[in-house]
Amino acid sequence: MRWCSSLLLFGCLAAVNALSSSGNRLLVVLEDAAEKGLYSTLFGDLEARGYNLIFDSPKNEQLSLFELGDRAYDHVLLLPPKSKGFGPSLSPKNLVDFLNNDGNVLLALSGKSTTPSAVSSLLLEFDIHISPDRSSVAVDHFNYDTLSASEKHDVLVLERPGKLRPDTKEFFGGEGILAVPSASPHTLGDTSLLAPILRAPATAYSYNPKEDSGSVEEVFATGSQLALASAMQARNSARFTLLGSVESLQDKWFSATVKAPGGKEVKTANREFAKQLTAWTFKETGVLKVEKIEHHLAKHGLALEDLNPTIYRVKNETVFTIEISEYAHDRYIPFEIPENDALQLEFTMLSPFHRLNLTPIKTTENSTLFSTQFTVPDQHGIFSFRVNYKRPFLTNIEEKHEVTVRHYAHNEYPRSWKISGGWVWIAGLWSVIAGFLAFVVIWLYSEPASAVDGKRKKTQ
Amino acid sequence: MAPKRSSAAPSSTSATATSTSSSTTPLSSGPRTLSANSSVSEIAFHVWHQYLTTTSQRTLLLDAFMAFLVLVGGVQFAYCVLAGNYPFNAFLSGFCAAVGQFVLTASLRMQTSSSERTGATGGSANSGKGGKAVVARGEADGGVSHERAFADYIFGSLILHFFCINFIN
Repeated sequence: MRWCSSLLLFGCLAAVNALSSSGNRLLVVLEDAAEKGLYSTLFGDLEARGYNLIFDSPKNEQLSLFELGDRAYDHVLLLPPKSKGFGPSLSPKNLVDFLNNDGNVLLALSGKSTTPSAVSSLLLEFDIHISPDRSSVAVDHFNYDTLSASEKHDVLVLERPGKLRPDTKEFFGGEGILAVPSASPHTLGDTSLLAPILRAPATAYSYNPKEDSGSVEEVFATGSQLALASAMQARNSARFTLLGSVESLQDKWFSATVKAPGGKEVKTANREFAKQLTAWTFKETGVLKVEKIEHHLAKHGLALEDLNPTIYRVKNETVFTIEISEYAHDRYIPFEIPENDALQLEFTMLSPFHRLNLTPIKTTENSTLFSTQFTVPDQHGIFSFRVNYKRPFLTNIEEKHEVTVRHYAHNEYPRSWKISGGWVWIAGLWSVIAGFLAFVVIWLYSEPASAVDGKRKKTQ
Repeated sequence: MAPKRSSAAPSSTSATATSTSSSTTPLSSGPRTLSANSSVSEIAFHVWHQYLTTTSQRTLLLDAFMAFLVLVGGVQFAYCVLAGNYPFNAFLSGFCAAVGQFVLTASLRMQTSSSERTGATGGSANSGKGGKAVVARGEADGGVSHERAFADYIFGSLILHFFCINFIN
């Protein structure tokens, strides 16, 4: 009952506040309720953005991600467990099922405690690898915080990440310096679903503080191979984010002052980064929506029934329009294609016959219309208009609209006299016919006199 | 064709049979006969003259029409070679009309001119097929009558023209 009323309350709150595009039920899995205070700023920010935070312990046996076969929560924030794992209700299989049901997960790890093997096997499901000893820390002797970790060098001081690639959107950028204390680094497998958010600097390496030897013999990974925060966006656009350092979300580091070697004392931008990270993971940003799709013949004076016909003829001029909007924190805004990138339309039958760039033609208050015009190929069959736009940090667009392409009807070809190249042959045919008629007439009037005589004789 | 032959005997058409069988015997009409050492131009002129004098008027008309068809067909083919074959159906129907008409006309020429000629040799050229019609009409020489051949020719030509006009669209 209390749960229902709080949902109602936050439902009302959501009307005025920012809200995720996919629901506001956020389960925070926190083993020790006393630690709640360490993250009060983060939780306060999340509640202010309209989330309904439900705290629970992995030890609670009643805890379940599903209720009556449906998701009980929209998002899950997993803080690192102290014990061997998250327990039976948050097993890797359950979490993968949760992702398959469009739930989003933000998992934070810590380098201070050993990562449980259950978490490690969950990460292996996504092809994310942590060091085999599961208790490594990212260390950098050049980019550390001189104020808090002058000895251990395990508080990394980093620039905020820029674009992943020149052709992607920037969701985690901005001014400021990030402090990443005792991060558990990881490496990423070679799959297009994974994208690193925050990479370790080139001088960082993975170090196990439990090993007594002062020097590092076998490093798990070094430099920019190591990622400190990574994103996995499944094919159903469900999001899983792994953050190596849960400490960077604590109040202490939201307002800390750090000083890189040889640098100035600056305030950290962790709070802003945590907002970007949670906003992206819980689908407040980078969510694309296809509003409508129209295709029709390229002609003036279109009636309503001319839109989206099910049949086209070969060599028709066709216009295709798609309207796309992007969710940004609390509303839909017009989607803009990143520079160096292109939204493309494919006209396919088994393989694409056309792959064309869609150009923005019109921007409405919260969407952009992209359009292109092309000639239907000279091939009849079942074709489909396809828009397949899958980019890192943006939800997938995969649209497929089937149409029939027919050949020319017998009366749609141009008549012979319309083609001037055939006039000689037309003249040839008619001259043969005219010659035939003239021949027949002359033949009939030129019966030989001998035959006439013969007939006359015969009749006599 | 016996009655016709008897009446036409003195005329020039009767020379066809005799001139082919024996060229050495002097003819009642026509130029002087060729000697053994005639020049090429003399032979050509002689052949041409013989053709003009010994061919019936209808056969001459047939030959003129066939020459016209060869000309029309040749022009169309040359145009196709020079200017390309688009639209190909127009080329096919125009060219095939000329060729088909030529074939039909050649058939008519065989049926009409050979029967004149085979009157003397007893209708060995046309056998079997034409026999029934000849028997029905009481013709003795075993060939198809000119009227029947001409009707077949018109029927075939009309079918040809129908298809060609349809195909040229």
